[in-house]
Amino acid sequence: MSLLRRIRPSKNGGYEVHLASEERSLLSVLPAHLVSLLDNVGETPQDELPDALQRLLPPAYTTDPDAERAYVSMTREDLVEHHRESLETMSVTAKATWLNDEQLAAWLAALNDLRLALGSMLGVTEEETEPPMGDAEQAEWIAYQYLGALQSELVDILERVLPDAVPGADDLVPDDYWGDPVGGLRWDGTPQPRDP
Amino acid sequence: MLPRAATLMLSRSARERAMSAIAMGSTAVPAEVVRPQTHEVAVPELPWLVIVWNDPINLMTYVTYVFQKLFGYSREKAHKLMLDVHHKGRAVVSSGPKERAELDVARLHQHGLWATMEHGR
Repeated sequence: MSLLRRIRPSKNGGYEVHLASEERSLLSVLPAHLVSLLDNVGETPQDELPDALQRLLPPAYTTDPDAERAYVSMTREDLVEHHRESLETMSVTAKATWLNDEQLAAWLAALNDLRLALGSMLGVTEEETEPPMGDAEQAEWIAYQYLGALQSELVDILERVLPDAVPGADDLVPDDYWGDPVGGLRWDGTPQPRDP
Repeated sequence: MLPRAATLMLSRSARERAMSAIAMGSTAVPAEVVRPQTHEVAVPELPWLVIVWNDPINLMTYVTYVFQKLFGYSREKAHKLMLDVHHKGRAVVSSGPKERAELDVARLHQHGLWATMEHGR
């Protein structure tokens, strides 16, 4: 099983990276491109951002524009910087055969950022219908699925090195605060699909 | 655990320390208690709720991982909250004073989760 893993813990600490050169090229080029999109976002309201960035810079207050403006002015710069650092780390270490803990954490964040950007551009839904062969967006779709598989591997590795749960933390918030029924509405008011 | 109502009797700074003590899972509670000022409105404070919404992009295992990492939840608790997000469209993942809720939302945003906050009800 471990032979199939592309990224695995190294005996001497850190992580070995076994990726093909095509994969490494993708992991170098895609984040650099997303970083360039982040360059001029300033404090543009979330719903006026390009599709690719909307999920990277979400709103905190959906019903209070003044509070949202204050939140953006307080957090936007840090949030953009956080995305930029992760993406740049992955871009410059894409050819590396070994990563340290911080670099692997940056890869996880960067992979998630890239999937959010690509998924938003592709209009990914719960149904995950693949485009037909020869579709103009097929390359992006394949990249999206590849990044998801790699991210999934990273989560498997990193959840094993999480610190122990904080005693009592589980009791701080009830499991189901409102007792919502299955279904309900999404953040944007559209119906939530029921699980098949 | 310190009942939430008890924290309302504390001064603001003591309350913040108490809330963070609660968040850290500590039972050590500051003893400093002050009488409410006469000009303060004696309405009980509702907590701010941090809500994570379902989205079709984030991996379920990743969402569980982020809840464990950010809030110190057990794997079981984090998994349960993730399933609520997935099946019910949203889940309250933390609650507390406004400043703390804003910090939690910002940390969730840094991890790419769709988090908002609202005053409790």
